[in-house]
Amino acid sequence: MAMDFWAAQKRARYWTTLYIALFVILTAVMAVCVELALRAFSPDYAETSFPIFGALFAFLTFIVAAFQYLNFRTQGGSFVARSLGAREVRFTSKNPKELQLLNIVEEISIASGMPMPSVYILNKPSINAFAAGLTPSTAAVTVTDGALDTLNREELQGVIAHEFGHISNGDMAISMRLAALVMGFFFILFIALRILRISSLTGDQGKKGGQVLVLASLVFFLAGSVMWFFGSILKSAVSREREYLADASAVQFTRNPDGIVNALRKIANETVTDMPDNGAYSHLYFDDRTPFSGLFHTHPPLKKRIQALLNRDYIPPEWNIPS
Amino acid sequence: MTLTLILLAIAAVLFFWGMGAYNNLVTLKNQVQNAWSQIDVQLQRRYDLIPNLVESVKGYMAYEKGTLESVIKARNQAASALESLDKTGGPTEGSMKEFLGAESSLRGALGQFFALAENYPELRASENMKMLQEELATTENKIAFSRQAYNDQAMLYNTAQQKFPVNMIAGTFGHHAVELYEVQDQEAKKAVKVSF
Repeated sequence: MAMDFWAAQKRARYWTTLYIALFVILTAVMAVCVELALRAFSPDYAETSFPIFGALFAFLTFIVAAFQYLNFRTQGGSFVARSLGAREVRFTSKNPKELQLLNIVEEISIASGMPMPSVYILNKPSINAFAAGLTPSTAAVTVTDGALDTLNREELQGVIAHEFGHISNGDMAISMRLAALVMGFFFILFIALRILRISSLTGDQGKKGGQVLVLASLVFFLAGSVMWFFGSILKSAVSREREYLADASAVQFTRNPDGIVNALRKIANETVTDMPDNGAYSHLYFDDRTPFSGLFHTHPPLKKRIQALLNRDYIPPEWNIPS
Repeated sequence: MTLTLILLAIAAVLFFWGMGAYNNLVTLKNQVQNAWSQIDVQLQRRYDLIPNLVESVKGYMAYEKGTLESVIKARNQAASALESLDKTGGPTEGSMKEFLGAESSLRGALGQFFALAENYPELRASENMKMLQEELATTENKIAFSRQAYNDQAMLYNTAQQKFPVNMIAGTFGHHAVELYEVQDQEAKKAVKVSF
């Protein structure tokens, strides 16, 4: 029995909201823990009852996250594509493959009723593609040389439609928000580590102020690490759910499940993995190199995605896709 | 006095309701026209491409003169059907029927042409041919995808006209049901397969 696409989309949104709420709550809890830990270890620092360190922890996290998010917002998809080393393709190109890519993107933008995004090519032999940018009007779609050379027209259309699925389901906004929060925790961890290093070098642990600083850094470092760890897991969990929906959207736009299925099969059979190792944007494309197997993967196993498409999971009957 | 007030109130309600219904119909009609013009652009593009295609294969396919001529003939018929459809103010009943008929024979002729072209290896290798083929393929796809959008809009517009009580005023303000762009058989629903 096929699962209803709209219900699944709703469920994905619901889980995403829940995850973000969980994030905020965890941050608050962690802030309280930070405060309690510091007070327990160094009771005499607290001349006021105001939770200075707890507040500092929460404040820093959210400020960095907000800053990062605004940064993502203003940058748009083209910035992300360029910062990963991709080059833009235009209709003035003489290369027939590139012109075909632009044609396909134009077709899917008609099919999905969304504006034509900027199109980029990343010089990598593996088959991959990603969409970036927070709104449809600032979105950019990037495909690798490998995808362009290996996939046929139908398969490339399926892949492009999958990326349009991400744009129309609003996945970029959500994953960028999550990425921004994770970045906030990473920043705290990083700063705390720096302070620890510096204070151990200058050797002023003997003084009372230095002691508090070292202790604070240590607690911040631990709290930041824990949050970063769980945050990354949550980010990946949200991202995995949304891959199935983008696959279903690819079928919705093209009315042709064969394109995306055959493309996924080709990807499953290839052995090269050479996508840029860039933590901030790694959730955009699939990459199975991450340690700890399943938990950190931003994309579900290809086998499961192919199976879901073949079973017509997530695909409502009114799209009239023959099974 | 009270009666006048009541009558005035009723007239005001009727007026505002009528204004809302009227504006809604206008919006829907414009959306249908916009969706149709998206198809129109792609159809024109295809009618422009077909003579180029025939011109560039003439040298290779000298013995298939009959097929080439029937492609051109079907193309001309479809193009003039589209023209008269646009002149008569969009996809209404009679003109749409004629256009759909002409389109369907053009599809048939093109299908036949591409089936024959498979027998000409030098043609398949020609760069110019590959480019034309890609142009035609993408135009076919765009027609197929914009047809979906057009049909959705047309359905909304038609339903809005048929609903009570709008159905009593729709005709008065010049709203009529528009025809859907329907492709009959299941195979033809997919874009014409432009490949060798």
